[in-house]
Amino acid sequence: MANTKTANSKAANIEIEHGCAREATVRQGLVPQLCTVKSISHETSDVMSLRISTFDGRRPFDCKPGQTAMVSLLPFGECMFCVSAQGEDYLEFTIKRVGYVTEQLHALSVGDTVGLRGPFGNWFPYESLKGRDVLFVGGGIGLAPLRSLITYMLDNRASYGRIDLVYSGSKPSDLVYLQDLQEAWPQQPNMHVHLSVYRESSDWDGAVAYTAPFLEGLGISATGKVAVLCGGPSLFRTCSASLEKMGFALEDIITTLEMRMKCGVGKCGRCNVGGKYICLDGPVFSMAELKTLPGSVH
Amino acid sequence: MQLSKERVDAFLAELNQAVRVYVPARGEAVSSFARYGQGTEPAFDLVNTDMPPKDMLFPQTEKMYRYGLDDEGKPFVDATFDADEVVLFGVRPCDMRSIECMDDVFLTRGFIDEYYETRRQKLTTFALACTAPAPTCFCDSMGLNAGQAPAADVLLKDVGAAWQLAAQSEKGAALLGKYKGFFDESDVQDAGAKNSDSVSCTLKVDMDGVKEKLDQMFDHPLWEDITKKCLTCGTCTYVCPTCYCFDISQSNRMKIGERYRCWDSCMFSVYSEMAGGHNPRADKLSRVRQRFMHKLCFFEDRYGKSLCVGCGRCIQKCPVALDISCLIDDIGAAELAPVALAGEKGAGDGKH
Repeated sequence: MANTKTANSKAANIEIEHGCAREATVRQGLVPQLCTVKSISHETSDVMSLRISTFDGRRPFDCKPGQTAMVSLLPFGECMFCVSAQGEDYLEFTIKRVGYVTEQLHALSVGDTVGLRGPFGNWFPYESLKGRDVLFVGGGIGLAPLRSLITYMLDNRASYGRIDLVYSGSKPSDLVYLQDLQEAWPQQPNMHVHLSVYRESSDWDGAVAYTAPFLEGLGISATGKVAVLCGGPSLFRTCSASLEKMGFALEDIITTLEMRMKCGVGKCGRCNVGGKYICLDGPVFSMAELKTLPGSVH
Repeated sequence: MQLSKERVDAFLAELNQAVRVYVPARGEAVSSFARYGQGTEPAFDLVNTDMPPKDMLFPQTEKMYRYGLDDEGKPFVDATFDADEVVLFGVRPCDMRSIECMDDVFLTRGFIDEYYETRRQKLTTFALACTAPAPTCFCDSMGLNAGQAPAADVLLKDVGAAWQLAAQSEKGAALLGKYKGFFDESDVQDAGAKNSDSVSCTLKVDMDGVKEKLDQMFDHPLWEDITKKCLTCGTCTYVCPTCYCFDISQSNRMKIGERYRCWDSCMFSVYSEMAGGHNPRADKLSRVRQRFMHKLCFFEDRYGKSLCVGCGRCIQKCPVALDISCLIDDIGAAELAPVALAGEKGAGDGKH
């Protein structure tokens, strides 16, 4: 533990940007831009990735890793999603079918029209992570926001150190981005993918464990590393405890939060934690910041 | 400058030709700010209307944009939006303060809300200084002066047979200049003049240190006591002049739809319930705590002022008499010793 602190004190501090909420300069945050579905890939039985472009084939807007956007499906409704990846001519959203609007999103076909508004919120500290080793910890659909930072780091590979990804799902068929997990990412230089599932299965010869004990058992050193965590409430609780136990400083554990949102621009009220709005001040916070927000870490 | 009370109707009628004038008025069931004329009898004797004037800037339901398929079958979004010029005549100082709070929410911090901004730019306010606060008024404890409304364009004071007018902004001065034929330059106060310079509310709370205490009271047992009484009916949020939470939804008819926003309430469990069922404020306690913490603590963290203006509407209208002034007393009296939430009863003084 003492060694960890010494090692981390040499690295630059991780600085998470929240200034996007400071100046009131942006108008027209509430009206969607009409776009088109460029491609669809089915990740699991209830998760798919949509790539969305403008009608004339451009990327709808620029965004930084970890930022969010409101996907507006006319005439059904709007939902906030993290942009899971972006290309020259698209933004990608990975969407689990859990409710009314996502049910309709899953019924979309290539060429259909969707509305988009964004980008919203802050972003992963991809600048201050430069030169650092990064440990990603995710479960299920929680890999979607992490993917935006993983793909950014892989696109700028020389700027970052070792990448570890610890990722779990209930069963093998629940793992999203399987092709990346099993083929593309393990072949990347200095990137290590550690997968587990919660229950034994005839089509799985890898680790069977819940994420937190699996993470703790991998023997990953916290020295010089920054952890980026995203998963459901249970994974968040257990894995953040594991990371602390492994010696990660609270400032070096980064996460991205989710709340119900309607406006996305810090007005409609419902996504607050204390005096912060997750849509505008977040969704990215360090564990040290979260511990100062009332009711956020339960 | 004065406006004789005998000429008020003539002035408002003339003004109403050019802009939409809203005045406090008694309705069949509730009092509110209503369009002047069309049989509306102004009720300037009302201290606070049942409904606040927030719908002038933030309508209970507001169309945001139309969408659908055009004649050629192509999808469109039509965000054309405009608002009428409105004069709010006779708004009270507490409600003016609430407009300042709404300005903070909708016009600052990252995004400017264009709907609100358009309405705000087209709103001119005539505030009416209070002379006799209601028993539920406690604005002076919340840092206001019932005889002043610094954010108003024009301030009206009752000087007996007339109202004294003072322009407080360029917009206010321009409007008074345009209608100067209705006003006279006299400064006379007759025997019927009412004192609005040193008005004192009878209901008092001590806000000193309340915010700082609340910073440490998120898990305090006091919230359990308050929650027992609350029905989470949401009445307080609808009559509150500063409650600004909204929902966004849509209505569809054939190939055309409208997306609109409407007032919402943090008292309702669906307000924060996410797809998939997780709800960070599923229990009543966390919702009740959210509302009062937002009013008295979180808003100050964000915007540097309290979100309670002391208008007393929630005290009047709460069906179970859950009284924010009593809550403020209780917070003041609460002990901050670390007590587990499930532990002994808090330091409530029994008013609830």
